[in-house]
Amino acid sequence: MDFKFDDKAEELRKKIREFVKDNIPTDIKMGLFVDEHYDEDWAFAMETAKKLSDIGWLTMSWPKEHCGMGASVWERVVMGEESGYWGIPGMGMGVSGTAWVGPSLMLFGTEEQKKKYLPKIASGEDDGVWCTGYSEPDSGSDLASLQCSAKRVGDEYIINGQKVWNSAGHRARWCWLACRTDPNAKRKHDGISLIIVDLQSPGVTIRPIPNIIGAHVFNELFFKDVHVPAENLVGKENNGWAQLMQALAFERGVAISSSAMTRRMLDELIHYAKETGAFAKPEIRHKLVDLAIDIKTLRILAMEAAWKVAKGEMVIHEPSRDKALNDLILEKVGQIGTEIIGAFAQVDPLEKNAGLQRLRGLMEWIYFSTPGMWAAAGTTDTNRNIVAQFGLGLPRGY
Amino acid sequence: MDFGLTKDQELIRKSIREFFEKECPKEKIRELKTDKKGYDPKMWKKLADLGYMGLVIPEEYSGAEGSFLDLMIVMEEIGRNIVPGPFFTTVCQSAPAIEKFGTPVQKKNLLKKIAEKGEITSYAVNEAKADYSAADIQLAATPQGDGFVLNGVKLFVPYANSATHLLVAGRTKKSENPEEGVTLFLVDAKSKGIEIEEIPTAARDMKCEVRFANVGVSKENVVGEIDKGWQIVDYVLQYGAVLKSAEMSGGVQAALDIATRYAKERYQFGKPIGSFQSLQHRLVNMLTEVDGLKNLVYEAAWYMDQGKPDTMLNSMVKVKANNVYHRVCYDAVYIHGAIGWTEEMDISLYLLRSKANENDCGANGVHKERIAMELDRYEPLFLSMRA
Ligand SMILES: Cc1cc2nc3c(=O)[nH]c(=O)nc-3n(C[C@H](O)[C@H](O)[C@H](O)COP(=O)(O)OP(=O)(O)OC[C@H]3O[C@@H](n4cnc5c(N)ncnc54)[C@H](O)[C@@H]3O)c2cc1C
Repeated sequence: MDFKFDDKAEELRKKIREFVKDNIPTDIKMGLFVDEHYDEDWAFAMETAKKLSDIGWLTMSWPKEHCGMGASVWERVVMGEESGYWGIPGMGMGVSGTAWVGPSLMLFGTEEQKKKYLPKIASGEDDGVWCTGYSEPDSGSDLASLQCSAKRVGDEYIINGQKVWNSAGHRARWCWLACRTDPNAKRKHDGISLIIVDLQSPGVTIRPIPNIIGAHVFNELFFKDVHVPAENLVGKENNGWAQLMQALAFERGVAISSSAMTRRMLDELIHYAKETGAFAKPEIRHKLVDLAIDIKTLRILAMEAAWKVAKGEMVIHEPSRDKALNDLILEKVGQIGTEIIGAFAQVDPLEKNAGLQRLRGLMEWIYFSTPGMWAAAGTTDTNRNIVAQFGLGLPRGY
Repeated sequence: MDFGLTKDQELIRKSIREFFEKECPKEKIRELKTDKKGYDPKMWKKLADLGYMGLVIPEEYSGAEGSFLDLMIVMEEIGRNIVPGPFFTTVCQSAPAIEKFGTPVQKKNLLKKIAEKGEITSYAVNEAKADYSAADIQLAATPQGDGFVLNGVKLFVPYANSATHLLVAGRTKKSENPEEGVTLFLVDAKSKGIEIEEIPTAARDMKCEVRFANVGVSKENVVGEIDKGWQIVDYVLQYGAVLKSAEMSGGVQAALDIATRYAKERYQFGKPIGSFQSLQHRLVNMLTEVDGLKNLVYEAAWYMDQGKPDTMLNSMVKVKANNVYHRVCYDAVYIHGAIGWTEEMDISLYLLRSKANENDCGANGVHKERIAMELDRYEPLFLSMRA
């Protein structure tokens, strides 16, 4: 056993903190989906992405031949922790590209695709921003029932259908699209393919969906006879489901950065509660203590999963386990946080420079964001279904 | 970072697990509930012969000089198999206190006998409040001649009726700060004036009330410095809290296994009950809690092992263990339906220990205040960026 990071990872941590000192404001409005709404916030995120790319950190875990640094699992973990704690924007550029499109392309993509798309993502430029098109109005948790169709005609696919909840769709150049290529397949899981769509193609319409507090973080996408070159198929035709499962596993590994993000929230809260005197009340400080223990627990679970990955083990249920736990912790942060802020928690967190916001509106932001986070990347309960099946070997019950 | 055990540690786990499976089946645990001693001396002797009693005792006192992690593994296995006996109080509380704070003579006399013969020493700290606070320690230790006379009552002293020695926290001075004026004594359990009576606990895990009426102790039997014993109590509290949590972690790992197995075997509505989603999610939440506790214990134990105890983490681990032990045992019983609520089922043995485990080495109130104190002192990381 050893619960310290290796020197190389700690060295990286130091460098990241220097970067933070020079580039990230200490009062940054950090948290979940905070960059996509305002143009100036998005611009700052992309500006930061460019700087991260220049150092090589944006896609540090990718191999050198694909514009990465070949960073170790533990360096990646440190990057995740630090970006979560300091709220480094732009790390994900709308998330999809760096976190799962790139890694999936490295697994399933053609040489041409790798050459064309990976450098764009790694360079932190506008053309490297992706969104993900999985969900549809009638296909949410039951993703395999998706209907958006791609018909092969000559050396093209013709796409028709609708996608929904596309995070950062309004900022993205490309869509990582799951669609049905064989409507006659016996099982709904068969007949699905992953196709890369240029969102500037004729026939694509993007419509914003204001979220619960009116922020523009996700969208609806409509495809009407959109022509896509057949070379944009990723992996094998009709084999999309297996590839998708892999991509979703990449997507759910949020616990490292999220446990660091919530620890930052906790640190801010404790500091605030000491200043206001709330910390002296046992009922308040015990809640903060409980939260500190939960966050510590999430962190150690995420580390355990990373350790398995570092050993070369497959992690199947662990990211889902940690996603579900993270969902509970987000609720607690928001609840305890807004309780400590008190009446000031009713001030709109989306408002810039609202004088009566406390802690920059972080607590009400997380309070109102949490139910959305519960749904994103598979709901809490569908992730529990995965743990039941793969972690405990229980028979599927639905 | 490495969550893995070494080959030697794996071997310890395997050997001790097999030992308990063979020597301490659940029928025996049930039999011991009505036994006068509450443990099996024959098994105890074997355990000592195999070197487990001296596992972390230095070689010069006939021990194996193993690591804290070795001991943690044994405690996890004791918890997994809910092995009744004085292992914890002797090896995880009394021996470490003597080793760190005892005189050479005390070490020689006591540690050697624990390692070689498995002699039992019980740690006697709780009194009327039984809350691990310094104020709870009221047993009067009055100077007399070249020693002390003890008068008072200790509660929940494990296996005191089989112990050769008691490690007793007494009050040698009344002061405003209750942490001052505590002194520890190593007392011969057969001394005149000691009366021992079993407390009928729900788990029948042999906790005793020990009454001291003018019990004489010589100065040589003071452990550590006079009036400065609180630091020993605090040391044992932390050392023990991590190991008690390891025991509880082993317990809930077993409880989860039992409940999961039952959920696959029991049929209702023509299906295994484990296919019902409400039970699945209950089990998944249990798994998350069990995994979380297990790994937190490992982390805390590793810091102990490095000689750099993380005091805040130690307290966090005990609170976590308290919460998880309750939750998992309750849910595991629920998953069994009515039969879970019977003496007959093994799962009941785990739940019955919950209140003892929760209070041993500190309940939530004690540890949450310790954590809060640390958080109060703590300079948050984000401030370091603010010029
Ligand atoms: C902030 C945010 C960002 C998102 N970003 C994207 C994106 O970029 N791209 C994309 O494609 N999608 C995205 N999504 C969509 C997300 O993947 C879906 O919301 C999610 O898969 C759930 O689908 P649904 O919303 O249709 O809910 P439904 O599937 O209709 O679920 C409704 C309720 O039923 C429950 N339920 C459903 N099935 C089961 C079951 N088998 N067992 C138990 N309970 C069940 C759910 O837990 C939930 O409570 C995003 C969502 C959010 C909130």
